[in-house]
Amino acid sequence: MSYGQKTEMVAMLLAGGQGSRLGILTKDVAKPAVPFGGKYRIIDFPLSNCINSGIDTIGVLTQYRPLELNAYIGSGQPWDLDRLYGGVFILPPYMDGKGGEWYKGTANAIYQNMNFIDLYDPEYVLILSGDHIYKMNYDLMLDYHKEKNADCTIAVIQVPWEEAGRFGVMTAASDGRILQFEEKPKEPKSNLASMGVYIFNWQKLREYLNKDEEDETSDNDFGKNVIPGMLHSGENLFAYEFKGYWKDVGTIQSLWEANMDTLDPNVPLELNDPPWRIYSRSSNMPPQYIGENASISNSSIADGCKIEGTIENSILFPGVTVEKGARVSNSILMHKVVVEEGACIGYTIVAPSAEIGRSAKIGASEGDMSGKVHDEITVVGEFVKVGEGVTVPAGVSVGEDIFGEEAGR
Amino acid sequence: MSILGIIFSYSERENLRELTRMRTIGSLPMAGKFRIIDFPLSNFVNDGIYDVAVIARENYHSLMDHLGSGKEWDLMRKRGGLRVLTPYGKSESGRNGLYRGSIEALSNNMHSFRRSLADTVILVETSILHSMDFNYLAETHIESNADITAVYTRQLNGYPTVPMGVAILRFNEENRLYDLSINKDDMSCQDVCWSTGVYVINKSLLESLVADAMAYGKYDFNEDIVHRLAGNLNIQGYEYKGHLLEVSSVAGYMKANMNFLNPVFREKAFQKPIYTKSKDSVPARYFTGCQVKNSIISDGCRIEGTVENSIISRNVIIGKDAVVKNSIIMQNTEIMRGVHLNHVILDKDVIVRENRQLSGHVTYPVVVEKASII
Repeated sequence: MSYGQKTEMVAMLLAGGQGSRLGILTKDVAKPAVPFGGKYRIIDFPLSNCINSGIDTIGVLTQYRPLELNAYIGSGQPWDLDRLYGGVFILPPYMDGKGGEWYKGTANAIYQNMNFIDLYDPEYVLILSGDHIYKMNYDLMLDYHKEKNADCTIAVIQVPWEEAGRFGVMTAASDGRILQFEEKPKEPKSNLASMGVYIFNWQKLREYLNKDEEDETSDNDFGKNVIPGMLHSGENLFAYEFKGYWKDVGTIQSLWEANMDTLDPNVPLELNDPPWRIYSRSSNMPPQYIGENASISNSSIADGCKIEGTIENSILFPGVTVEKGARVSNSILMHKVVVEEGACIGYTIVAPSAEIGRSAKIGASEGDMSGKVHDEITVVGEFVKVGEGVTVPAGVSVGEDIFGEEAGR
Repeated sequence: MSILGIIFSYSERENLRELTRMRTIGSLPMAGKFRIIDFPLSNFVNDGIYDVAVIARENYHSLMDHLGSGKEWDLMRKRGGLRVLTPYGKSESGRNGLYRGSIEALSNNMHSFRRSLADTVILVETSILHSMDFNYLAETHIESNADITAVYTRQLNGYPTVPMGVAILRFNEENRLYDLSINKDDMSCQDVCWSTGVYVINKSLLESLVADAMAYGKYDFNEDIVHRLAGNLNIQGYEYKGHLLEVSSVAGYMKANMNFLNPVFREKAFQKPIYTKSKDSVPARYFTGCQVKNSIISDGCRIEGTVENSIISRNVIIGKDAVVKNSIIMQNTEIMRGVHLNHVILDKDVIVRENRQLSGHVTYPVVVEKASII
C-alpha cells in the first residue's frame, strides 16, 4: 500500500530507550519525555528540528513507558505536525499474523516499520534519536548527502578525545568518505563521533535491514551491525560534520550541565531564536508572579511560577512555587515543584510535582563550590515529598518520601 | 438544554483612548500573556460550552489574528466550535456594515445562530470580566421560567462609582425587572443593581425579539428589548457575587490589570485554566542585577533592570538600570537602559530609548500608542 504521493524524506525518531543512566528521572517516563530547558522536553528538539528543516512526516518509535510521551505528542499540533498528509505517528511494537515482538534493536525497530515508511514512498530516510539537545538543519545535511551521491550520511561532531570511547567513532577521508567506523571503541582512532543522525537512501537501507534481519547473530543495531555491514560491502558512506552545540543528555550530570548551558551566554545554544524556534506543548498556565520578597539572578523562570524566595543560576519549569525565605541555587526545578519556606536547594534536579518541606536542605550549598564544575548532583524524584528539616546530602537520589532526620538512598 | 455563547468582542461604551484605536477591546492584552477575549472564551469552554460565536464590529484584524481557528481554546470543532462573525455591507442599511446597535449586530448574524443546535443563548460582553458558572446560570434561567435572565451585581470592587454607560437595573420584590436606566453621569451610585452585560434567553425568543425590534428600527438590546419590553416579558434578575473587573476606561483597565497582583484574586481567576494563543516563546530570563518585586512577568521577557508592581507581557526587554513601576507593558516592547517609567501603559512594539522618563498618575496613566518610538 502507498498513498501514491511521494515524500522526499521521512524521519524515524527512535524514542524507545529507557535512558537508565538518568536513574529515577526515567522511572516512569521514557528518556525523550524528560523535561529540559525550562519548558521543553528532550523530544521537542528533534521534532522542532524536523519541522524547521521542512520534514513533516515523522514516525516516533516508542517502547519503554510510552504513556506520557504519547500524551505529550498527541496530534502533533504544537509542532505543526497535524497534517492531512504525513504528520507525526507514534509507532509502538505490534502483533501480526506470525506473532510479533519487542524492538530488538534500533535497526529492528525500523525493520518492523518498513510498511509505514513505504506508505510515503520516500527517496530518503532520516534516522534520529530522542536523546540529544541540539539545533540542526537536516535539510543542509540532505543537500550534502545528494551532493556526495552517498548511500548513507552520518552526522558527526568532534568530541574531546577522552570522551570519544562513549560514541560510535569514525575515521573519514578529506572528502568526508568514511573509511572506518567503530562503535564505542576502547582506543578510539578519531574524535569524530556519530550524533546518531543518519540519512539513508531508503531502497538501500531496506536491502540492508532485510539482510540484517536474516542474520541471527546480529544485535539489529545501526551502530554495531548495519553501518559496519554497509561499510564492509563497499557502499558510499559519508560523514557530515556538524559544527554547533550538541549534547548527549544521557546522565544526570550531563542533563544538569546542558540545562545550565541555556543560562550561559558563552555557550552556543540560544533557545530564543525565532527563525529556529523550539516548539513544545503549552502548559496553559497564567504568567509567573514574582512577589515582594523575591530575589532572582541569572535564572530562567516559566509560566505559572510563584516566587517569593531567592533564585540563583537556576531553571524553573511551569507552575513551580518557591516560598519566602527559601533559597534555590544552581538547580533545576521541574513542573509544579513546591519549595516551602526556608528550604535550601543547591546543585539539584527536582523532578515534577515533588515537594520540599520547610527548612529542608537538599544538595550542596553554593559555599561548597564555585563555577559549573560539579559532579555530585542531587536528584529528587517525581511526586516525592521531602519532610520538614530533612537534609539530603549532595549526590544522593531520593526516590521515595522521606521524613525525619535521615537521608534517602 | 444546550447552550450557545455569544460574545460581543467590542464595546459601545468604552473609552480606552489609544488602546483601542487599532484594535477592538476583545483583543486588548490583559494580565500579561492574555487578551481580554480569552477570559469569556475560556469561561465557556471550562463550563463545557463548545458552541461560541464572537461578534466583531470594527478594527478586528488583531482579534482574528489572535483567535485563528479557535484550536487553542479547544474550539476547533465540527459540532459547534468557534465562529467569528465579522460585519458585511448590507445595502438596505446603507452603512457599510457598521451596526447601529447590539440588536442589529444580532440580527445580521442570526443566520449563523439559527444553524447552532443550541436552544439557549448566553450573551456576554467583553468590557466586564468575571468568571461565572454558566451552567448554573442557565439552569436557574430555565427553572425560573423567565423569558430573559439579566445578570447583575451590586458590588463596586473598589471602583468609586458604577461604571459609566452600564445599565442600572431595578427589580420588584418578585425579582422581576421593571426598569432599566443607563448610568450617564459620574455620580456615586451606591447599592444599585448594575448589569454585567450577561443575559440568558431562549434562542427562538431572541430571534423573534430581534426581528421585531429591527422592524421598528430599534437597535439597542438594553434599551429596546430589556427596557421597552419589561412590562410584557418576564425578565428575572440573577445576582453575580463573584469578583469582576470593568475595563471600559483607561483607569479601569489599569486597575483591572493590577488586580492580578493580588494573590487571593489571582487564585480565583486562575482556578480553571485561561487559554490563549501560544507564542512558543522561551521562558522569562532574569539576569544578574535585576530586581523584580510584586509583578507579573510573561514568557519571552529578558529582564536586567528593576520592575515593581507592574504587569509585563510576552517578549518584553527591560534594560540595565531601567526602572518600571506601576505600569503595564505590552508585548515585544523594548525598554532600554536607564529608562524610568511610572504609571505608564506601553502598547505593543514600543521602543523607549536610553534614559527617557515617563510618568503618569494612578488616575491618569500615560498611554503610549502601539509601535511608538520614544
